[in-house]
Amino acid sequence: MKRIFLSLAAVALLSTACDDNDPKPTDPPDAGGTDVDCPNPPHYTENVTACQPAATDYQPRNATANNSTTDAWPACISDENTYSPIDPNISTVARVAAFDEIATKLWKGGKVPTAQEFVETYDLYTQPEGIGSRVQRREDVHYPAAPNGGRCRDEGVPATAPDRCVGPAKLLPIITDAFTRGGKGEAPRVQAARIEAALLWFFYVSPLSEVMSCGSAPKDCDSAWAYYTGGTARGEPKGLARYVRELAPETHERAYDAALAVRCWRNLDNESGTAANTELQLRARNQYDKALLRGTALILRQRLTELTCGNEEGSQARMAFINTLGPFFDRAVREINPPKADVLKAEVAKTNAEDVDVDAAVAALDAVFPCP
Amino acid sequence: MRLPRPAPSVRSALLAPGVALGLLCGAPTWAQDLVAADRPVQAQAPADPHSEPSNRETVISGQAATEDAPEGRASSTVTRADLERRLPRSAPDALRWEPGVFVQQTAHAQGSAFVRGLTGQQTLALFDGVRLNTSTWRQGPNQYFFTLDSRTLDSVEVLRGGASTPYGSDALGGVMLAHPLEPPRQPTPFRPTFFLRGATSDSERGGRVQVQGATERLGFIGGVGGRRIGLLESGGPVRNLTDGQLPEVPRFDEDDRTQLGTGFDEVTADGRLVWRASATDSLTAAAYLYRQFNAPRTDQCAPPFSRFDECLQYDAQFRTLAYAAWSRAEPDGLTARATLSWQQQHEQRTFNRPAFAVVDRGTDTVDTLGATVRVTPKPYTVASRPLRLTFGADGAQDFVRSKARTTFTALEVELVRSRGQYLQGSRYFTGGAFVDAEWSVHPDVTARAGTRLGLASARAPEDVESGTLAVNNTWVPWVGHAGVEWRAAQVLTLLAHVDRSFRAPNLDDLTSRQQTGPGFQFENAALSPERATTLDLGSRVHTRHVTLEGWGFATRLDGAISRRPRNVTDCPPSTPQCNASWSRFQLVNAPERSMLYGLEGSTRVRLPAAFIAQAGIAWTWGEGPNLADRPSNPDVPYSPRVPLSRVPPLNGTVELLWAHPSGLSASTGLRWAREQTRLAVADRSDARIPLGGTPGYAVLEARAAWRLGTRFVVAAVLENVTDAAYRSHGSSVNGPGRGLVVSLEATPF
Repeated sequence: MKRIFLSLAAVALLSTACDDNDPKPTDPPDAGGTDVDCPNPPHYTENVTACQPAATDYQPRNATANNSTTDAWPACISDENTYSPIDPNISTVARVAAFDEIATKLWKGGKVPTAQEFVETYDLYTQPEGIGSRVQRREDVHYPAAPNGGRCRDEGVPATAPDRCVGPAKLLPIITDAFTRGGKGEAPRVQAARIEAALLWFFYVSPLSEVMSCGSAPKDCDSAWAYYTGGTARGEPKGLARYVRELAPETHERAYDAALAVRCWRNLDNESGTAANTELQLRARNQYDKALLRGTALILRQRLTELTCGNEEGSQARMAFINTLGPFFDRAVREINPPKADVLKAEVAKTNAEDVDVDAAVAALDAVFPCP
Repeated sequence: MRLPRPAPSVRSALLAPGVALGLLCGAPTWAQDLVAADRPVQAQAPADPHSEPSNRETVISGQAATEDAPEGRASSTVTRADLERRLPRSAPDALRWEPGVFVQQTAHAQGSAFVRGLTGQQTLALFDGVRLNTSTWRQGPNQYFFTLDSRTLDSVEVLRGGASTPYGSDALGGVMLAHPLEPPRQPTPFRPTFFLRGATSDSERGGRVQVQGATERLGFIGGVGGRRIGLLESGGPVRNLTDGQLPEVPRFDEDDRTQLGTGFDEVTADGRLVWRASATDSLTAAAYLYRQFNAPRTDQCAPPFSRFDECLQYDAQFRTLAYAAWSRAEPDGLTARATLSWQQQHEQRTFNRPAFAVVDRGTDTVDTLGATVRVTPKPYTVASRPLRLTFGADGAQDFVRSKARTTFTALEVELVRSRGQYLQGSRYFTGGAFVDAEWSVHPDVTARAGTRLGLASARAPEDVESGTLAVNNTWVPWVGHAGVEWRAAQVLTLLAHVDRSFRAPNLDDLTSRQQTGPGFQFENAALSPERATTLDLGSRVHTRHVTLEGWGFATRLDGAISRRPRNVTDCPPSTPQCNASWSRFQLVNAPERSMLYGLEGSTRVRLPAAFIAQAGIAWTWGEGPNLADRPSNPDVPYSPRVPLSRVPPLNGTVELLWAHPSGLSASTGLRWAREQTRLAVADRSDARIPLGGTPGYAVLEARAAWRLGTRFVVAAVLENVTDAAYRSHGSSVNGPGRGLVVSLEATPF
């Protein structure tokens, strides 16, 4: 009875709070927490009232700041608070759509996917020009480039720079292995969780990579936007953006602001040619990075809090998710707070859910990523 | 069709043993070519190939045994002697020295000749009069002319300009007429000849055993050959014009010279039996098998921006051609020829992605049944002047099988796709009937004209799962040509010609879905034929020492079938790779005309001391409507008219030839091309073209040959003497670096 009441209350609250841009009730949830085996997960409520944008941040939602004399950003195409694609054809949109389709078949709602569904989604993942084609060459621009000008797609190079070549060196083996095991019927929820976690990290690093390549290839700014949003408006997020928005609306808004910052920079910096204003480029990237990192960290945080919720299978899946996604945060956390990094690293490496000090891990994340 | 000819019984009697003699006897082939190529036959060749070497100018191995290209047109011929001197790697490679021809290579095992700026399905390839083009020849360069074994060729004529009247659909840019080696025409003992060949730059090792001989009425020539070819070493990387960086294509080994995604294996077999039923009639039964294995497509092995170990490879690229022909040549001038042919074009592709444990396989097979008949009655007399008519009809029916499947090797699961690159069960017919006339209006003026009524029909089933529409189209194009040849002076001939040709859309245009160089291309079932109107103006100067030929042309393409960039929303259903590709294209009929202009020149000069110099040059300029929508951003450059795709740059050749009666000969050649920066919209996203265009180059080669007695010939080519790094415009493969090509030919018995 209590559950029904809470559900009705939630529906009523949503129906009054939604506007046209909000997710429709028919939209499947993304961010976890609604698994069938964990119907009442711990609820995270974002509170960023103490947070203030940096003076150099692009703030398209804040008309006052955006038009003030102290605005660090000249007037640009993003000032209308909507994204204007450089090219209307954004191939990345299809990859995000494929991710959502994979999610529906493999893990949404705590689904237990069949072996056949693993095969079908692997087919989708490995389509020419599909997600896999980008995973296999994705670089994490936080790390120095591979030595001697090596490209991550070349033979032997990923091993020389595994952090930089995060796609081929780290994500690709995880995803391939998980699809293979899932296709053989081995621990399907666990494999689905590994795929989900690895792809989420892919969708975190990809926009930042595209921001950098956009300097010479303007269309890549569209991809920088689309890898996060799925090529949608603020209120209709797809892919990673949907995860983030459901957990932390303001973090999502800040990430969207930053995507517009990227577009603004390119609009101001020789839009149809090669960019030159690296200072503005890095400013936009850093704004984007901060919001995306917090958003992705909140997804990890949520899974940590749900870790022991529900049945054993669900718990194992969440553990696999945490084991997969958690280690990727070490660089960012360690840059800010090395002791917290040690804590997080230890907790996300544990393989038994009962052994994980969830509070410690969550505290580490909260301490390191308080604001978007 | 070349109309009036000397009675073949006389001339052929000289030519056929000439070829045999050139191969087998002591007369130095190259010397004979150099000395006699421009001269009339002075004496009949000895019938016995075992006769002692002779210095007499009797053998015309420098001339083709067969010439089919229409007269009064721009054309040139690669002869057997040219092939033996230049030692080309393939049939397309043999055309590199022809004026107005520019050879592009998407892979080491592929080659596509651009003739007057057009290639692939917009040119026509014939083998002994049998149409090689099938309905699955794709837009842009293709590999199919490579599937002719150059060792079975006697000559290749290249007709430049439209020629649909005699040859039908596809003959927009030109026609390549390959002529096979013929068996001896006079009684000759059957004996084997062994050919060995090797090259350093791609570790080629190969050979062929050939047997030929003849009785009074029956002649035979046939052989079996094979070669194994390794990775091709270039002169080094060819860099982007814009930023000096390495293009994505090709990938290099650690030495920055050896190109990955090259190499292949090849096996060939052929047999040709000619029965001279009477003095006027002969029957030919012939079969030619070409089998190519493990040939990676260089620009997709690995694909641009992909992992090093991904590779699209042609596991099998087969052609089987069998036909029977009846020929009649009566003394009064009547000639006739009819053929019945079966050809099978088969290819099996594998796209291997080890990191994903995924293998995509595609198999396409096209069986073609063809028939041709041509009759040239004895000349009529009109206004006291001879008039020759030629009547012809032809038809080719394609039957297409196409399958695609994906294997997840780690899972041992295979997914069978609802459709292949083409639609299983598709049918295509192309053919027509024509009449050609040649009238000697005046002793110095010849007029030519002809017309064809064509028929093309495409049928393809619907595929609901992939959202592919059924195709059921028929076209009846009507084309023609007219020209005049005026011998203005003893040494000067002026020519003018106008031609209207067509190409009906084929099954590739109408139904195929594929990842192409510039992006994903999908079908358009609503295409209509493209038509080319070509005006040729030419002049020939022919003296004892100098032959000079120059042509200017203008080709107007109406409804040209070209790639139009498409939006994601235009992608057909069930094609996630279309949505996810950087670029999407659909073939459409251009709403406005496209134009090609060009100039071609060639010369041959006889110099003292048995030297001959020859040179060729070609310039082509193409422009068509910009099929892309105007960008919404006014800062993005946009032009309503843009260059046509992959039009070759200004290019040319120079050769110096020398031969000595002792059997020693030598030559050197230079091929060059200016940079090509005029790029079509699709070219800019084509990884085969370096950013900004393809740099110019000059490549020098030196050749020598020694004919030892009657039974051995050794020939060598030092290719790319300066080790230049170069690439033909539009190619995925850089040209070979400095290296040696050696050929040994022995008839020991």
